[in-house]
Amino acid sequence: MLDVSKLERRWLKYKIKSMLPYAGFLTVIIILGFTIPLLLSTSTSSHSSIKKENVKKLKAPLPPLSKNDENSMILEPSMQFLQSMNVPSPSLEKESISSIPVSTVPSKISISQPKIETAVPPPIVKPIQTPVQKGNLTSIKRDDTTFDIHELEERFKNNSNPNLGLYIARYHYDHGNYTESYNYALKTNAINSTIEESWLIFTKSLVKLGKEDQAKKTLQLYISNSNSQNAKNYLDTLGKESHK
Amino acid sequence: MEYSLFSKPRDLFIDIVNPKDYVQIDSVSHMYQSLKTSVQKPLKMILLYGRPGTGKSMLLHKLHHDLSKHQKVCMIDIPVIDEDDFLRVLAHKIYSYASRESLSLTNFLELSAAVNYPVIPIVLLDEAQLYSSSLMEKIRLISDARALKFVITLHKTDNEDIIAKEHFQTRIWESIELQNASYEELKIYIQKKLLKANCFDVANMINDKNIKLINKLTRGNYRDSNKLMFALFSLYAWYEEHNPSKIKYNALNKKWIEMAAIHTGLIRA
Repeated sequence: MLDVSKLERRWLKYKIKSMLPYAGFLTVIIILGFTIPLLLSTSTSSHSSIKKENVKKLKAPLPPLSKNDENSMILEPSMQFLQSMNVPSPSLEKESISSIPVSTVPSKISISQPKIETAVPPPIVKPIQTPVQKGNLTSIKRDDTTFDIHELEERFKNNSNPNLGLYIARYHYDHGNYTESYNYALKTNAINSTIEESWLIFTKSLVKLGKEDQAKKTLQLYISNSNSQNAKNYLDTLGKESHK
Repeated sequence: MEYSLFSKPRDLFIDIVNPKDYVQIDSVSHMYQSLKTSVQKPLKMILLYGRPGTGKSMLLHKLHHDLSKHQKVCMIDIPVIDEDDFLRVLAHKIYSYASRESLSLTNFLELSAAVNYPVIPIVLLDEAQLYSSSLMEKIRLISDARALKFVITLHKTDNEDIIAKEHFQTRIWESIELQNASYEELKIYIQKKLLKANCFDVANMINDKNIKLINKLTRGNYRDSNKLMFALFSLYAWYEEHNPSKIKYNALNKKWIEMAAIHTGLIRA
């Protein structure tokens, strides 16, 4: 025996669980949506404050030298520049030459690398799909399944069940056989004139068969008898389409 | 309980193997025809394999139902695992030989040679993966001696490739694999089952979205689909009795399909 209330609770839990990843994803997006602009604004403000500080420092006047300082400071010329003007020793020259290996080895690398980059990609060989054959297995091909609607039509002829008529009409409408769907919806309506879906299939089939005016008249008649909201909606859409 | 619109469709999906409930679907009927022609050939063993719930037992029962009108057919749907018992059951069912003592393989072959049937009798073994290797060897010997033909069904699992076993690898001359139903096949299976029992109102309620959801939940497995539909119509029957205003007759309720799936264990909640 089914415990429906318990099942409903379990279903609710399942729904919440299944929605959790989406909820998490949404919250992450929302958080990122808030934090990224904040971070951007703070980083720009910190940059500007650093710049301002630097500018302030530059603009700040240097402290004036005191007279005592001026007197105590004795400047002497440096003679070190003479050493740099001396001719370098031969050992140093050798080292300096050997320290420029750029001209030999890297040139080789620089030549080989572009070759790889500009190499033409090998043509993609598509694998040839061959039918897999199992050892002793009989190969049974599956045909597209078809529904034996004729059997149902025969049954409808015998029992005139309106539900079966509706089923057949719907089947034909779904498969694009509008003449058949029209016929079966008409028969169904004759047996039971209160089935809304049957009337809708009937009028839709009429529209598909290019008899829109007849469909509208039929819908108006049906609405006057049944006050069907779906029929009204369909009539409205038909009206809009004809105005276009 | 008063008349319920959903009690009849619910009972249609009770998971019982009955050849009268066999629903003809193109792919399955192809396989069935292939199986029937294989049985007519001078083959010794025919293997029918597939995952649990793909309709092997149903096909075997249907075969038994159809063939038993014309020739001697013995159906062993509950495995007889004891080797002595197995031979005794076969001797009793096929040759009407009742013996309390154990029957050796030689005695059995002698018995089969003594009884002359115009057509070799067929033995249909369901759930053959439960038989021991030594018993399978005996079955192989009986079929090699052309005393009996065997049609056996096996579960195919990911863990164990039973067909690769020695006695099957070298002896099977015909093998047929059954698979889960596609979306179209499942749709036809459910609709046909309902229409066969004149449940037109309920058949009209099922739309393509419902079938897609059922197919997604059951992966086209016939047994799982039967279980799900049974639970679903049980739910409908309950609501019809306790809260009929909740029922919408233009389509099946997605929530209730999911609830049925939770009840049958197809959804873990």
